[in-house]
Amino acid sequence: MKTLSCLALAVVFSVPLARAQPSFKGPMPDATVIVDASLRRAAYLSRIDEALIWRAAMAKPGEPKTFGLGEIVAKLARREDAAACSERLIELMKVPTGDMFWMFPVTAIYYLGRDQLTPEAKAAVREAWRAYMPLRGDTENHWAMYYSSLYLMAQQWPDEPGERWFNGKSSQENFEESRDYLLHWMELTTTTGQGEYDCTHYIGEYAIPLLHLATWARDPAMRQRGRMMLDYIFADYAVETLDGMYVGAHARTDDTTLLEKWNGFSSFFGWLLLGNCPPTVSYGGWGIYFVAAAKHYELPEVIYRIGTDRAGTYAHYERKRTRHRWRNSDVRNAPVYKTTYITKDYAVGSDQGGLLQPIQQHSWDVTWAVPDPRGVHNTIFSNQPHFSTHELMMYFSENPDFMPVTVTSQGKPTYISESKLLGGSPYEQIFQRDDTVISLCHVPAGANFEQVNGFFSKDLARIEEDASGWIFAQGGNAYIAYRPLAPYEWKPLEVGGKRLRSPHGKNGTIVQAAAVAEFKSWDDFKAAIRALPLEIRLEPTPRVAFTTLRGKKLVCTYGAAPIVDGTTFDYSGWKLFAGPYLNAEVGSGKLTITHGALERVLDFKTITITDRVKP
Amino acid sequence: MQTLKSKLFFAALLAALGGHAPIGAAAPKHDLYLSVLLSGPGQIMGGRTPALSGVYRSTDRLKVEHVGFGHIRMFQVIGDPHSADGLYLAALNGVVHSKDRGKTWRILTGWDMTEPKGLAIDPNATDHIYAGLPDGIAVSRDRGATWARMNDGIRRSYTQTITIDRTQAGRVLAGTELGIYLTEDGARTWRLVQPTTETTYDLRQSPHDPKIFFAVTTSSGALWSEDRGLTWKPIAGVPKKHTLHNGVFDPSDARRLVLCGWDAGLLVSEDGGRTWLDRTAGLPNRQIWSVAVDPDQPGRLYASPFQQPVYVSEDFGLTWKPAFFEKATAFNLTFVPRS
Repeated sequence: MKTLSCLALAVVFSVPLARAQPSFKGPMPDATVIVDASLRRAAYLSRIDEALIWRAAMAKPGEPKTFGLGEIVAKLARREDAAACSERLIELMKVPTGDMFWMFPVTAIYYLGRDQLTPEAKAAVREAWRAYMPLRGDTENHWAMYYSSLYLMAQQWPDEPGERWFNGKSSQENFEESRDYLLHWMELTTTTGQGEYDCTHYIGEYAIPLLHLATWARDPAMRQRGRMMLDYIFADYAVETLDGMYVGAHARTDDTTLLEKWNGFSSFFGWLLLGNCPPTVSYGGWGIYFVAAAKHYELPEVIYRIGTDRAGTYAHYERKRTRHRWRNSDVRNAPVYKTTYITKDYAVGSDQGGLLQPIQQHSWDVTWAVPDPRGVHNTIFSNQPHFSTHELMMYFSENPDFMPVTVTSQGKPTYISESKLLGGSPYEQIFQRDDTVISLCHVPAGANFEQVNGFFSKDLARIEEDASGWIFAQGGNAYIAYRPLAPYEWKPLEVGGKRLRSPHGKNGTIVQAAAVAEFKSWDDFKAAIRALPLEIRLEPTPRVAFTTLRGKKLVCTYGAAPIVDGTTFDYSGWKLFAGPYLNAEVGSGKLTITHGALERVLDFKTITITDRVKP
Repeated sequence: MQTLKSKLFFAALLAALGGHAPIGAAAPKHDLYLSVLLSGPGQIMGGRTPALSGVYRSTDRLKVEHVGFGHIRMFQVIGDPHSADGLYLAALNGVVHSKDRGKTWRILTGWDMTEPKGLAIDPNATDHIYAGLPDGIAVSRDRGATWARMNDGIRRSYTQTITIDRTQAGRVLAGTELGIYLTEDGARTWRLVQPTTETTYDLRQSPHDPKIFFAVTTSSGALWSEDRGLTWKPIAGVPKKHTLHNGVFDPSDARRLVLCGWDAGLLVSEDGGRTWLDRTAGLPNRQIWSVAVDPDQPGRLYASPFQQPVYVSEDFGLTWKPAFFEKATAFNLTFVPRS
C-alpha cells in the first residue's frame, strides 16, 4: 500500500540527528527581492554550500552509522573524503534497502563519484544494481524516482545483458522503458495536469529525479525536458506560496504541515530557490539529494519573481487530475479544479471537494502571513472527517478490509479518527470565489462520521463567537469570519488550539477572509460581515445564498452546480493554469510564465524554452 | 525400528520446525509456495528492514526457504508448463519469470502494467499467459515476451483473478470489480456472465469435474457454476457481509471445499457446498487471508491468519497448529507441480 510512510522514512532514516543547522535555527531570511542575477545566484550557491557542509559534517570518524548515503553524497558534491566515501559505500552496498528511495541516492552518488570513487566502490554499486530488486512502487512519485534512476544507470552502463540487471532486462531495454515512462508522465502532466499535485512533501520526490535528469542525462532532449519540468513544478509551487509556504489545496500533505503550514519539505525549496523562508529540519531530509546537484539548475528569474515580488492581490486557477483510480470510478483520472486567492497578508485556496486523493487530501484553508512561521499554526479550515474502504479501493489495488487500520500504522495515524483534520470526503462540496469559501456537507446516515471538524489555531490573535452565528477571528493581518452551518461544540487539541466539532450530517462552513487594513476597526469588520446577505437552509439538502464581501452573489446547493451572480457556474472551460502569472490550456503542453515584462514559455511539444522581455 | 532417542529427536525437530508431519514416504509431487508479507516495522514501500518478505518455498512442508527478491507485495506464484524449474510471479513490479527456480528473474511486463494480481497459463496453449491488472487484462501469446491489453467488453476493468477452462483453449474466466467475465476467443471479446457489486477475489475450476466453477467475492458471497461458468448461483450458507479471499477445491476429495476471508474465518464443506462448517476454532483470529489444500497429503490444510503464523491442519480444519513464520500474512498459498 502505498507509499504510506515515505515521509516518516525520509526523516527517520535519511538523517541521523538534527544538529545545529544555520538557517533552520537562525533568524528569518531577509525578504528583500534580489534583483541582480549574479547576487541571486551567489545567494543560491551559498545556501547549497550551507546544506552540503552541514550534512557532510554529520559523518563522524569511527561511527559508521553516522556515515550514510546522505553524508556520502554531500562529501562527493564537495569533493572531499573520496577514499572514506568509497570504503563506506562498499559496506552500504552489501545490504541495500529502501527500494526507489535507495535508487536515486545511489544514482546521485555514482554520478558525482565517477571521478572520485575507487574502482572497488563502483563495482560494489554495479553489483548492487544486479542483485537488489527495488520495488517499483504504486504511485507516480515512486515511478518518477524509479525510472529516472534506472534511466541514468542504464545510460551509465550501456550494452549490458539482462543478467547484469536486477530485473533481467538489458541496458537497452531498461533505458527505453525508463525513457518511455518519463515521457509519458511528462506529457500527461503538461496536458492533463499533475496527479499528485501541489504536495507539501512529495514535491521533492519529483524535483529530485527531475534535477538528476536535467544534470546527468546525456540526451540533450531529456536534459532539456528535465529542466523544463523543474521549471514547471517550481512555477506551480511559487505561484501558490505565501512567503515560501505552500498554501491552498493539496493532493497530499500530512498532519504536521496541515497546521504548521511552513513545516513541509516544500519550504526547503522555498528557502533554497526563493530565499524567503527557513528550511525545514535537516534541509527536508531528502533535500541533500537535490542540493548535491543543485548548482546545475538555476531558477528562472520570472519564477523567482512570482514567488517573491508580487504586484498585489491575485486569483489563480488550476486544473489537476486525481491519482489513478482503479475501482469505484468510471474515469481513470477525474479533474481537480483549484482556486487560490493570494494577498500579501493571507491566502485562501480550495478544490471542489470530493474524494480526489486517498488519505492525505487537504481541500481548503485560509493561511495568514506571519513574521516567522516556525512553530506557528497559521491556518483555519474545516473538513468532513471521512474514511472508508470505498476510498481506499478507489486508489489502491489492495484487498479492502485490512487497509483502514493498517494505514494508521504507516505514517497516517489519524486516518480513522473522528477528530481527524486531514483527508477528503465524498460528502463535501466546495466553492470558492475570491476570498470566500462555501463548503457544504451532506453525510448519509451511517457513514463515518456524521460531522464537520473545524480547526481553530492556538495562534489566532482573537476568536469571538457572535450572536449572529458567525465566529470572528484574527490571524496576523487577516480577519476571518467563520460560519458553521449547524450547532457545534468545542474540543481541545493536544497541539494547542481547539476543534470545532459539529455533529450533524447536513452541515457546512462559510469562510470570508479580509485584510485588517481594509477596515477601520475590528468592530467595523464584524459589522460588515453581519450586514452581508445570507440565507442558510439545511433541509432537504444544504443550501447557502451569500453575498460576499467582494459583492459576489453566491448560491450553493449540495449536489448542484454553484450559481454566481445569477449564472450557473461551469467548470468545463477550466484551464490547466489561469491567472496573472501562469497560463496553460488543457492539452496544449505549453505553459506561459509571466511576471511583469518577463515571460518564459515552456513548450513540451517542441521541447523548447522561449524567454522574452515584453516591451 | 526407531529407538526412543531417535523418536524424541524427531519429535523435537518437528516442534522446532513447526510441528507438523512431513509428507509421507512418497516424495511430494508439489512444492508449497507462500507469498508473504512479514509483520513488523519497515515492511512498507521504501522500508529499510533487511527482513525478507516475498516468496517462500517449502519442498518438505517442514521448513521454508526464501526465493528471489524480498518484496512486500507478491500476489501469486504459478509453475511454468515448459520447464519444471520455471516459475511465474504476479508481483507489484509486474509479471516476473524465473527459469531456474528463483535464482534469477526477469520482469516480463513494462512500465504500463502495474500490480498484476492474477496470473494463468492456458493448459491447451501453453505459450499464452493471462494477467489480471488493476486496469484490465493483459495477454501474452509468446510466454511473456510481449503483451497486449485485451479487455474489450469489460466495464470497470479492475481484475483480481483469472482462471482458464482446461477443456478448451482460449476459454477464460476473469474475476473483476463488477463481476465474472467470460471469453471464449482468447480474450478478444469478453461478456459478463455474473454481475457482482464488488470485486471477485477468487475463481477456481473443479479438479474433479471441469464443468464446475467456484468463486468468492467481496460482498456477493460465494458463487457456484455447473455449466463451465455460463451461469452462477449463490452458495447458501456462506455469508455475504465479509470479503472472501479464497475458495478452494480439495483435489483429493470432490465433496470437500474450503473458503476463507476477512472476519469470515475459515469455512469448510464436506458435501459439495451444500452445508458449511466453521473451522476457525484453533486459529488466532477470523481474518484469514488465504487457504490452500495440500494435494499431496489428504486432509491437510494451510491457512494464513492476518499477521500471525501460517497454520496447518491435518484433519481438514478440526485442529490447527502454527507451521511457518512468527508473524506474517500470506497473500497467496499455492502448490506448484514439480514436473
